[in-house]
Amino acid sequence: MTATMTAPPIEQVAPHVVTKVRDGDLKGAQMGLLGAGIAMLALSCAFGMFADGDTKKRFFFSYLVGYMGVLGICLAALFFTMLQHITRAGWSVVVRRIAENVAAVLPFMLLLFLPIVVGAEHLFHHWWHPNPADTVLAGKKAWLDSTFFFVRVGIYFAIWLVLAWFFRKQSLLQDQTGDPTINLRLARLAAPGLLLFALSITFAAFDWIMSLDPHWFSTIFGLTYFAGAFMSFLAFTVLFARFLGSKGYLKDAITTEHYHDLGKLLFAFMVFWTYTNFSQYMLIWYANLPEETAFFEHRHHGGWGAIGTLLIFGHFFFPFAFLMSRHVKRHPVGLAFGAIFMLVMHWVDMQFLIVPNFHPTAAAAHAEVPHAEGQSFVGNFTHGLGEWMHGLTIHDFLCFFGMLSFVAGMALLNMRKTNLLPTRDPRLAESLHFVNI
Amino acid sequence: MTAITVIDEPENPLRRAPLVEGKNDFASVTDIVARVAENKTPKGWYLLFGIAIALLLNLGAMIGYLIFTGVGVWGNNIPVGWGWPIVNFVFWIGIGHAGTLISAILFLFRQKWRTSINRASEAMTIFAVMAAGIFPAIHVGRIWVIYWVFPLPNQMSLWPNFKSPLLWDVFAVSTYFTVSALFWFVGLIPDLATFRDRAARAGRTVAARVYGVFAFGWHGGNRHWIHYEKAYLILAALSTPLVLSVHSIVSFDFAVSLLPGWHTTIFPPYFVAGAIFSGFGMVLTLMIPARKWLGLHELITLNHLDNIAKILLLTGTMVGYAYGMEFFIAWYSGVPYEQFAFINRATGPYWWAYWIMVSCNVISPQFFWFRSLRRNPTVLFIISIFVNIGMWFERFVITVTSLHRDFLPSSWGYFSPTIIDVLTYVGSFGLFFTFFLLFCRFLPILAISEIKGVMPEANPHHGHGDHGGHGGHGSSHKGHSGHGHAH
Repeated sequence: MTATMTAPPIEQVAPHVVTKVRDGDLKGAQMGLLGAGIAMLALSCAFGMFADGDTKKRFFFSYLVGYMGVLGICLAALFFTMLQHITRAGWSVVVRRIAENVAAVLPFMLLLFLPIVVGAEHLFHHWWHPNPADTVLAGKKAWLDSTFFFVRVGIYFAIWLVLAWFFRKQSLLQDQTGDPTINLRLARLAAPGLLLFALSITFAAFDWIMSLDPHWFSTIFGLTYFAGAFMSFLAFTVLFARFLGSKGYLKDAITTEHYHDLGKLLFAFMVFWTYTNFSQYMLIWYANLPEETAFFEHRHHGGWGAIGTLLIFGHFFFPFAFLMSRHVKRHPVGLAFGAIFMLVMHWVDMQFLIVPNFHPTAAAAHAEVPHAEGQSFVGNFTHGLGEWMHGLTIHDFLCFFGMLSFVAGMALLNMRKTNLLPTRDPRLAESLHFVNI
Repeated sequence: MTAITVIDEPENPLRRAPLVEGKNDFASVTDIVARVAENKTPKGWYLLFGIAIALLLNLGAMIGYLIFTGVGVWGNNIPVGWGWPIVNFVFWIGIGHAGTLISAILFLFRQKWRTSINRASEAMTIFAVMAAGIFPAIHVGRIWVIYWVFPLPNQMSLWPNFKSPLLWDVFAVSTYFTVSALFWFVGLIPDLATFRDRAARAGRTVAARVYGVFAFGWHGGNRHWIHYEKAYLILAALSTPLVLSVHSIVSFDFAVSLLPGWHTTIFPPYFVAGAIFSGFGMVLTLMIPARKWLGLHELITLNHLDNIAKILLLTGTMVGYAYGMEFFIAWYSGVPYEQFAFINRATGPYWWAYWIMVSCNVISPQFFWFRSLRRNPTVLFIISIFVNIGMWFERFVITVTSLHRDFLPSSWGYFSPTIIDVLTYVGSFGLFFTFFLLFCRFLPILAISEIKGVMPEANPHHGHGDHGGHGGHGSSHKGHSGHGHAH
């Protein structure tokens, strides 16, 4: 057998699988998601960007939370696509088109970067307009420079857009030709692609989150952002596939077996997120150096301490116990609940990373709500949670969930245009028939 | 012995390449592995074993000399209080990571190709952890009270410092050793039974008796296999966090300090990537000669070597990422001590060690971008040696360069090893190779039953007429898909 043979069409491999969304079907859902997303984002931008003072500043932080949370999902979709090619994965072929179509939303994420451009001097004001007496910042001027910052935005997006476009285009081409050499080519290109991806997502996390507090630094930061992003992509994919399944699409292709595998990966990367965050926290706590502990010091006030606790329990202990079970991962409602829960936790995680860098101007700073010393753990926690909720704005919800809705809508739009799965991938049959032991 | 065929065909996405090549069936796979232990001991083995034993005796002599004289026989000094012993400890414990990664993580990822290298890698892991354990033990100086590292109740109310990662190391490494040994032994049971039965049939009663004791009365019944598979899966799940935790904790030995070059948050995953890198380096160093001398080409195919090379490229590049992040953040931090530590590494008195490290660990695996080099055993063997060297130097660079010039220039110093340092390190190879050679001689060096499990014959749909020969033809299946794929 030579590689010049073509892969058989899906009609031959699995005649029962519906490969395309029927004309006009799912249009309502797509328009609903897009409409809700755009409306939420537009509303938030209209009221946030054109407000003044602290309201405006705070809006940009909410926007950044939504942006980084959802951008991570799109980036991890690109990562997932390349990962499946480089490992010659068989099980995941039926899921891969979803990832390709989510990654295809990245050009719109470039468009959605515009409010950050507008708000950059508010978000990054520490280094955008540095204090001339600050010699530490003067030493970083070569990197934390507004022009170079935008040049880097261009470089990151150039990498992501080209990779996302190329991998999707080749996969769609294979739907027509059935040419198996496309797999070889993509597997080969995934290697340098993943290298560029690793570097670009690292520096993007440094630039867009870590530099909010330009004095603080952590070598693991890029990895922690990636871990959370990949985890949330898996949660997103579980829900997206389940939605399609509920409408009668892909339900014979993405079976319990594939959900089980997605659930395993979701569990694994939830734990990996914990591992990277524990490494970061433990080492900073242990060394107790003021330039590093400042990061957690900020997150002890304004209710953020309770959010840190919430993340330990909600982003690790509970899902660890919940998603551990094989039964839960194979249960449609169980896994969907786990996925929704992890997406919410991802939002909380992004909040925890970004929003404590918002410092209201002195006059407007509201006094911390007094609370009795020596309260119980639960008392402190609920008090802190209340304080955090008090600091939340409507934009925190609108931006994250608006962005999520928009990306889901765009992904659905893409899914309606393309085949629902790579119909002539040579490993399609393997994927369709795959079972866990 | 039939002629060995080495298949080197281009990759074809339409089929999964067979994991066992040539005209092999279950019987011939058993033969290939069992004959290694049953044939007359080759002269070469005696030669190697003699060298290993000599080195092992040398290790004993060095440790004896150390205990009777004191740690002053080493080059350790002030400010470099941690010299070669810690470097060697981390070097060996790192090598011990490939075995568990292969047996646990690759198992969970359904990487069927692992079956032909897992047994030897697990053995390597156990012997490497043994070699590693020696160094912290003799480094305490008063080895006769080494049991104080364990929290044993005692009338002096003397407890180890629970806040010290050095104590966590004691727990992590001993747990790791125990679980790895269990995992290895559980996997061995069916194959030991095979050896027992073959020895009994050949009339070698002593051998049959000894293998029989360790085979626990295994007779391959259905119930045996059900329990075996379950135990294997549970041990794999238990070992998976260990792959990450052990070297993370080893990295804490350094990273919880305040020392520039040691204290950085990427240390745990960076050490884990380095450990896997060095472990796979050692797997190649051991398996390429074994494959050649013992005629295992059909079981350890070029595809296997190709995959290992890819893991080396991946983990080597990850290590390179960590080196890069350390440098970038040292600059970005604006902390002059951090900046100095890294510039001193690259250009200070130990610049040569730094650049040996970078060349061996980051540059040498880049050759594996080329498929032809990944499938060339000679090239692989040479680069695997570079990987071993580079990973030893990485630990040397981390340990020594950060210590020799700290915050106070008046206390700066320089570290040079003594001949005792060198001979002790060389001696640890004696320990490692003595055990490994004994393993090669007397135990099934490949996992016979697991290899059979990934052959087409093991597929329940095999021989139903919808395909023939080797390899899966995913497209032509009515039922389950091709071979080399999970069921």
